[in-house]
Amino acid sequence: MEQIAKKSGGLRGTLESGKEYYEIRLESIGGLGANLCGKMLGELGVKYLDVNSSSFSSYGSEKTGTPVKGFIRYCQKEKEIRVHYPVVEPDLLVVFHQALLKDDGVWKGCSQDTSVIITLEPRQDQPKELRERLFDGQIGTCYGLEAQKIAMESHSRINVVMLGAVLKVMGIESLEAGEQICRDTLGKKYPDALKANLEGMRRGYEEVRLLSGKEAPGDKAGAKAGVDAKDIAEDKLAAKTADKVWGYDNAPIGGINPRFGSTVISDLSPSRQGYIPLFIKERCINCGLCHSTCPDMVFQFAKGEYKGREMMVNQGLDYYHCKGCLRCVDVCPVNALVRGVESEHPRKEYFIPNQELLRMPKYYEEAGSDGYITSESYLTEKRMEGGEV
Amino acid sequence: MKNQVMEYASGNEMAAIAIKQIGYDLMGYYPITPSTQIAENLDIMRANGETDLVMVAAEGEHSAAGICYGAAVAGGRVINATSANGLLYALEQFPVQSGTRYPMVMNVVCRTVSGPLSIKGDHSDIMYLLNTGWPILFANTVQQVYDFNIIALKLAEQVKLPVVVAYDGFFTSHQKGRCLRFAEDEDVRNYVGKKQEEYPFLDLEHPITVGSYMNEPDIINNRYQLHLAMEEADRLLPQLFASYKELSGREYGKVEGIHCGDAQNMLVLLGSSYDTSIDAVEEMRKDGQRVGAATLHVLRPFPGKELFELIGRGDNILVADRQDSYGAGGGNLSLEVRAAMQKFGSSAKIKSLVYGLGGKDFFKEDAKAMLEWAKDLTRPDFAYYGVTAAEGSTGGVDFKAEEQPLFAPVTGDRTHIGATEAKMDEQTKQVKVTGGNLNAVTAMPGRIAPGHGACPGCGIPVNLNLLLRGIEDPVVFLFQTGCGMIVTTAYPKTSFKVPYVHNLFQNGAATLSGVAEICYRKQKRGEIPPGDIIFIMVSGDGGLDIGMGSAIGTALRGHRLLIFEYDNGGYMNTGYQLSYSTPLGAKSSTSHVGKAQYGKTFFHKDMPKIMAATGIPYVATVAESNPADFIKKAAKAAYYAKTTGTAYVKAISACPLNWNDKPATERKVIEAAVNCCYFPLYEVEQGVTRLSYDPEKSGKKIPVLDWLSMMGRTRHLQKEEYKDVVEQIQQEIDARFLDLKKRTL
Repeated sequence: MEQIAKKSGGLRGTLESGKEYYEIRLESIGGLGANLCGKMLGELGVKYLDVNSSSFSSYGSEKTGTPVKGFIRYCQKEKEIRVHYPVVEPDLLVVFHQALLKDDGVWKGCSQDTSVIITLEPRQDQPKELRERLFDGQIGTCYGLEAQKIAMESHSRINVVMLGAVLKVMGIESLEAGEQICRDTLGKKYPDALKANLEGMRRGYEEVRLLSGKEAPGDKAGAKAGVDAKDIAEDKLAAKTADKVWGYDNAPIGGINPRFGSTVISDLSPSRQGYIPLFIKERCINCGLCHSTCPDMVFQFAKGEYKGREMMVNQGLDYYHCKGCLRCVDVCPVNALVRGVESEHPRKEYFIPNQELLRMPKYYEEAGSDGYITSESYLTEKRMEGGEV
Repeated sequence: MKNQVMEYASGNEMAAIAIKQIGYDLMGYYPITPSTQIAENLDIMRANGETDLVMVAAEGEHSAAGICYGAAVAGGRVINATSANGLLYALEQFPVQSGTRYPMVMNVVCRTVSGPLSIKGDHSDIMYLLNTGWPILFANTVQQVYDFNIIALKLAEQVKLPVVVAYDGFFTSHQKGRCLRFAEDEDVRNYVGKKQEEYPFLDLEHPITVGSYMNEPDIINNRYQLHLAMEEADRLLPQLFASYKELSGREYGKVEGIHCGDAQNMLVLLGSSYDTSIDAVEEMRKDGQRVGAATLHVLRPFPGKELFELIGRGDNILVADRQDSYGAGGGNLSLEVRAAMQKFGSSAKIKSLVYGLGGKDFFKEDAKAMLEWAKDLTRPDFAYYGVTAAEGSTGGVDFKAEEQPLFAPVTGDRTHIGATEAKMDEQTKQVKVTGGNLNAVTAMPGRIAPGHGACPGCGIPVNLNLLLRGIEDPVVFLFQTGCGMIVTTAYPKTSFKVPYVHNLFQNGAATLSGVAEICYRKQKRGEIPPGDIIFIMVSGDGGLDIGMGSAIGTALRGHRLLIFEYDNGGYMNTGYQLSYSTPLGAKSSTSHVGKAQYGKTFFHKDMPKIMAATGIPYVATVAESNPADFIKKAAKAAYYAKTTGTAYVKAISACPLNWNDKPATERKVIEAAVNCCYFPLYEVEQGVTRLSYDPEKSGKKIPVLDWLSMMGRTRHLQKEEYKDVVEQIQQEIDARFLDLKKRTL
């Protein structure tokens, strides 16, 4: 494990080399607690690492399913931090959710000098998106850990597991400071949850592993993994944003938006937390209850015949917009909708895109939706402490 | 110097700490981003018994300012915090307070004034205060937020004027960093001293009249007194800064600069951007450039002389404004800097740039570019910095194809699916609805597209969809501010496939009345096709607290529209602060649970009863747990809204994030709310009240605690210590249900 700190240069190495700041960017989705993770990392610097620090998040906050960015800056203790803008060129990029890897914005400002920590599925080595970046030399050293699994096993949350991993990659020699900040933040009110979170952090610290790096033999990790450069180029094109960007020359005045229904091009699948509804068509009685409870207009009914009667018949689900809330599973009276683990169903049966579309948009863009809520929910800490949900 | 301890905190947290340490009597407030955290942090301290500050959550900022004014008149030490449109909503109150000379302190956490609605930081709000007679301090760091809060109160009470402490929303309010606070509250209290009242209002032995009716020749004298007080503030501030330095070791002036002494080119800006400019200036100095930067810590009284002494001898000055006084050739800061420089005889060439609106980030490179701009003779002396003309394609995609509509318009011929029909029964004079079958209504084209950003399991789209599936006529929407609007219309996308307009949540029903009137007029003139259109005003997130007046006004006028309230029981769009429809005992970010507080302390508002009292033709409550009933009532409400007058429909709407329950099982939670009679299903049609569903008769009635136990926000009420609270809730619900049943007789 010593290797890890050496490779990344780490916090101290970076600051001693004369670089003004050591900067971290957290890329997450509301509900995973990245906001709190960033706060703890910031506070840790000032209180226990003998450096100065500042932190904030992307003012999108903890609305579940919304992309959230966290920014942490460290500098020498004597220096005042006077810059208030987001971290543009991170020394360390931390991606909390694998679905975010396909979002171009997540990788902005990364270079060969950027270390990256990602979450892994159990037994997974390198996700395709990571291989591409390595292949292109867009990132430096990569680390990964099975954060979700660790969180579940330790009864902690993914943010403390990631906190442990970040401390390791930052080259912090021991977990003592991390433990202190956990105690400060989580309080003494919930000793049981604190214990679990300390365990989660410890395992994050210990189980984060090097995936590959610029020093890795053969260098071209992508080539090594057998990825065809042409595949990569095509995938990338598909990830690009399609719409023209409005500016003062071409945007309708007054913020008027004539692109009616245009949120339909958003891909909301990253909002899901690992589960999807599975449709067992043979059981369906077309009662319409699923349609009545779905907040995301996922169910696609069309005129048809059921038991010899003409009626609206459920054709399937538009998984582009399913956020995995599983309301439909809960109301279905005949178990025609059941809960499934998404990773076990890479090809979804009855996947019917929105039927009202006149044309299929070329690209479903962006991970998640746009955020708004700007206060930390009063529940954030509660969830952190005990996890009532 | 007094003993101090280090905090790792944000501007809002430090403001709250200062307020707590000062020991104010009262805070009147209404939550608005980004100032809300101040009240939230204070509420946590209250719940923990760390402060006995009286906190009054008003139903709008105008009332909050009124509460503060009253408390100040009565001799209390008073604090408020607000932002942007909240500030503007309360604006008329501010001259009242300064004109009658009652000191208090208000934190203005600067944010863009709508519309289009933006929640991020610029200075378009604070500049509206320049003419209100309030001294204004501007903090550019988290440390200054704390320090200026303490200095502000002392200033306020000495000159008998209310004082503002302003700082940047998000950049200063939300970013955390290291700063210091006094270890002992006593030291702060000793510094601000005891409040002295010249004319104690509550001295019944010596009654006084506040707020005389005053015309010429007197009002000009009153204003002159105010002017003198401002001048007094100008003289006092250096003394206050000096005495505060003795206390804290931190030195402030009305203005602050970096390397201004010998600078040829200088940048003047407010707030966190000045902080960033310091770094830029230092770097440019290393390259041998004679540049400097300056900021103002005081906007009123305007420190023109001090500023002239700081920067007046430079060659080029660029004033960067984070707002515009449209049409004046600059923002207010640059106008005033120009005037001051002229007055004191500066020969510097002055330019203005408007930058950073709507929270657009300000980088070190921007400060450098502005300093280049300042000396560049070819650059205009007024411009917008950082605007985008239009950005081209990023991936060789054909724009034209992309700009084709994604959907067919949702016109009446498509929505008349014949699944639900409302007809007047001429004998009973009641509307009869047929249909509403859940399978049949799936044929209704969506008026709202998927891809909106609501949380997984959110009840708002569920309720909107049920409503819309029962309405077969074309619809026109107005949404008041709230989650429903935020998650559907984030630029440059929109979920709406039908005409939609947003207005702030004081004013939705009134605005839609105007829309409807012009529609009728255009139809009459043949300018648009005839036919029924259902005008629907949608509100939630407490929108019928602040917007109740407008809704009642519309109802009393009898405007033909449908007011639909999705009641999620809190201001969820800003992080769940209590609304007047939050249940008693529920915790929220402004009603925490702690040893000194059990959650919200007053009962949920009975809005349907209030609306029924206006005598409108149709009032109904609906719940997604009874979807067929919901759809039928939607059809009925639409019938009345197009033929008769205002209809009001209220749904109880699940919020998994802030109710703190599982998204999957929200329908069961809603069902429990109905079955415990917290949210009875009924309608009031032409004055006739009918229960739609009686849990007692169906044998489904449950105690309210069963429902409360299903949600994290109220689960604490299960504990023995809150037995009395639950008892109170049960009694209130039972009484309301009994009253409702009596009305059905």
